[in-house]
Amino acid sequence: MFRISDKAINEIELKSQTLDPSAGGFACFEGWVRNHNQGKDVQKLAYEAYTKLAIKEGNKIIKEAHEKYEITKAFCTHRVGLLSIGDMAVWVGVSAAHRDAAFKACRYILDQVKSRVPIWKNESWTDGESGWVEQE
Amino acid sequence: MKKINVLFFGKLKELWNTNKLSLEIQCNDVDSLYSELLKTASEAPHKQSIKVAINDEFVEWDSSINNGDTIAFLPPASGG
Repeated sequence: MFRISDKAINEIELKSQTLDPSAGGFACFEGWVRNHNQGKDVQKLAYEAYTKLAIKEGNKIIKEAHEKYEITKAFCTHRVGLLSIGDMAVWVGVSAAHRDAAFKACRYILDQVKSRVPIWKNESWTDGESGWVEQE
Repeated sequence: MKKINVLFFGKLKELWNTNKLSLEIQCNDVDSLYSELLKTASEAPHKQSIKVAINDEFVEWDSSINNGDTIAFLPPASGG
């Protein structure tokens, strides 16, 4: 399941939802707000989403991951709103019977979410300026 | 004439100085609507880098517009 959240991501709860007695492996990625990007010192950032479409597209990606890989459960949550350095921006967790599928599906979900889900990042830099970030 | 709503996100919101427009248009498809909108924001990006959605679904640029539609223009995603 894919979710958009305007509150801090609860990774402990997400992990407990992802684990399953039939799964022998769990792979997870946590994306955090870092203090620099493209040569600039970042002070904070804001994520904006087209929420309805983001949830549809995110769930489509999770479904694709289930079709492509032998996985048990997959969850992804992406933050929106104002975030500070060190805040968690995105969480992806996948459980599977074996590690290879869990690793690959986790990577697939993250990569696809970054490129396809309508979410945009606006950075505020320490020089007082701010701007929309283009995908690298 | 068709009554529609247009949504802008990310940097497009700043280029048009709004996140939503309510318009009456004669355009038949999304492509021609964006061409008309470009006349009011000269620095806006060409459609090649933009995705478009009608009523919360991604659509192609040749998709037709119906009365009451909500059309969203989306710059490249930068989440994660």
